[in-house]
Amino acid sequence: MTMRLEQDRLAADAIDYEKLIQRDRVHGSLYTDADIFQKEMRDIYESQWVFVAHESEIPEPGDYVRRRIGEQPLIVACGKDLKVRVMLNRCTHRGNMLCQSDAGNATLFRCSFHGWTFSNDGRLQGVSFRGGYEQSLGELRSELGLAEAAQVGTYGGFIFANLSGDAGDLEHYLGNAKDAIDRLVRMSPAGGIDLSAGWMKHDNNANWKVVNEVQVDGYHPLFVHESLYKAIKPAKVDYSSDELRVAVRDLGGGHSEVDYTAEYQAQDREFIWFSSIPRSRVPDYIEAMEALHGPERTHDILVDGPPHTFIWPNLFLAEMQVMFIEPLSVEQTIQYTAPIKLLGAEEMSARIIRQTEGAMGPAGFLIADDAEMGERNQVGLHAQEPEWVLFGRGFESEKVEPRGITSYDRTSETSQRGMWQHYRTLMTETTND
Amino acid sequence: MTEIQSIATPAGSVSAELVDFVVHEARLADENRYAEWESLWADDGIYWVPTGDQKDPQTQVSFVFDNRHRIGSRIAQLRSGRRHSQTPPSKMRRQLSNFEVLSDDGGEVELAANFSLFEHRYTTTIWAGRYLYRLRYTADGLSLVKKTVLLINNESAIRTIAFIL
Ligand code: FES
Ligand SMILES: [Fe+2]
Repeated sequence: MTMRLEQDRLAADAIDYEKLIQRDRVHGSLYTDADIFQKEMRDIYESQWVFVAHESEIPEPGDYVRRRIGEQPLIVACGKDLKVRVMLNRCTHRGNMLCQSDAGNATLFRCSFHGWTFSNDGRLQGVSFRGGYEQSLGELRSELGLAEAAQVGTYGGFIFANLSGDAGDLEHYLGNAKDAIDRLVRMSPAGGIDLSAGWMKHDNNANWKVVNEVQVDGYHPLFVHESLYKAIKPAKVDYSSDELRVAVRDLGGGHSEVDYTAEYQAQDREFIWFSSIPRSRVPDYIEAMEALHGPERTHDILVDGPPHTFIWPNLFLAEMQVMFIEPLSVEQTIQYTAPIKLLGAEEMSARIIRQTEGAMGPAGFLIADDAEMGERNQVGLHAQEPEWVLFGRGFESEKVEPRGITSYDRTSETSQRGMWQHYRTLMTETTND
Repeated sequence: MTEIQSIATPAGSVSAELVDFVVHEARLADENRYAEWESLWADDGIYWVPTGDQKDPQTQVSFVFDNRHRIGSRIAQLRSGRRHSQTPPSKMRRQLSNFEVLSDDGGEVELAANFSLFEHRYTTTIWAGRYLYRLRYTADGLSLVKKTVLLINNESAIRTIAFIL
C-alpha cells in the first residue's frame, strides 16, 4: 500500500508512551482512548505484519475471503497463478466496496456502482462507457488496479500481510513463535492443517488488547472457568497446585505462550490437551501418525500436544483451534474461532469440531466467560482511579532462556508484559520519526 | 443448508398440543428454568445453532451442536452459580409465530416457527430467526428431539449466547 499524507499526524502521536507503559504497569487510558486506537491501527496493524487468512480457506483459483487489517477492508484472494494477493476492497473509481460476500469464488469482481470490473488478481479489466476519459483504456488499466498489501507471506499455511512495506522479513517477524506453527502442523499425519470448517465470529465489547490479554492469561482459569471445572469436568491440569509445571513465556516481538509441555511430559500421558481421550477413540489417527513417525515419536507428539501461543498482534494458536481478532473500534473487537482439521485424520478432526463448539465461541463453556471478563474489564477501565493496570506478577520467577523470558509460575504476567513492551516499542518508534 | 431446505414445505395443520408444547418450552427458556427445560429433551436430543453458510454440522463448525449429554453439561454449568456470562442471568421474552407443520409421520412431527427474542443483560439485544423443532409423541406427551435455531445474523459476529436460545 502506498503512503499516508505527510500531514497525517495524529493527536495520539504526542503522547509519551514510555510513561504510560512501565515495566510492571500500564495506564488505563490505553484501553479507552479513541485517539490512541487510531494510532494503533496506523502504527501497529497497518504498519506491521498481521495474520489475515489461512491457505486452506482459499485453496482454488478464484477463492477469496473478506477480512480487515486495522481500518482497511480487504479481499484476500487466490489468483489463477495460485498466488495469494491481499487487496484493498475499494473500487479505484469512486471508492465503492467492491466485494460484499464474506467468502466465495470469483474470477472477476464487478463494482455495483458503475460496473467497472477487476480480475481477482486486482487488475482493472473493464471500464463501462470507456469513452469518457482522456486516457486510453490501456492507460487507465495500468494506473487503476486495486491497491495491494506491500508484502504477503505464508508460513505453515498461515497468510500474513503487511500494508506498509517496511515490516521486514516474515520469518524474522515470527521469530520464536515460528516453531509454534511447526508444532501445530506436526499434529497432522499429512503435515498440514485445514480451517475450512469455518469460523465462529464473536462480538466482544472490549478493546482488542483486553481480548489478547485474556487469551494468554495463566492466572484466571480457576476463577473464570470454575463453573466448568466444578459442574462439568475437572480442568485438564490442576490449576490450584503450586507444583504445576507450566511455563509462561514472552517469546519476544509481542509473541507469547503458555507452555504445558513440561507438565504433560512429567505425567507422560497422551491427549491431556484433548480431554484425555483414550487412543481407542481415534484409531485411524494413531495409525496414520505411527506410519509417519513411528511409535515413539508419535507418543511424544501426542504427549506434548499442540501449542498455546499468541502471535502478535492478532493471531492465537489455541491448541486445537485457531483464533484471531479484528479490532473494530476502541471498545469493540471481533473474535474469530475455527476448529483445526488435521489433514489425514478425519475422525480426529470431527472430534475437534465438537470440542470447539463445547469450549469456544459465543456459547462455549470457556470463551463465553472469557468474553464476559473482557467486557467487564472494559467497563472497569473507564474508572479513572486508580490510573494503572498492574502486570507485575512473577518478576522474580523469570529467567532468560533461549526461547524467551520464561516464568515457571503459571500466574506470572510474563505474557502480558511481553505484549506491552513490544507495543511500547512500536508506538514510540513511529512517534519519533 | 440441505437438511433445512428439505423440510421447508408445510405438510399439515398445527394442533394446539404442538403450539402449547413449544410455547411452554419458550417460557422455560425465557425464565431460565433450567431443570424443567432440560426435562423436555428426549435421550437422543440435539440442540443446534448453525453458523451462517453452514451445510453440514459434521464437517463444519456450529455455534452450538449439543447432543443430549452436552445439553446436560450446559445446564449443569448454568446451574453452578458461577457461569459468569449468565451472572446475572439474561432477562428474556420471546414471541413465536408463523407455525407450520413440515412433516408428521404419527411418531414424530417437524414444526417450524418464527421467533423474536428480547434479551436484557446490561443492554437489550434483539435476536430473531426461525426455530425448527422435531418433536416425538410419547406415552407421556411430547418430547423434544431436535431444536434448530436459525439466527438471521448467523453469518455475522454475534454477541454471547450463554443463555438458552
Ligand atoms: S465506484 Fe466502482 S465503478 Fe464507480
Ligand atoms: Fe479462559
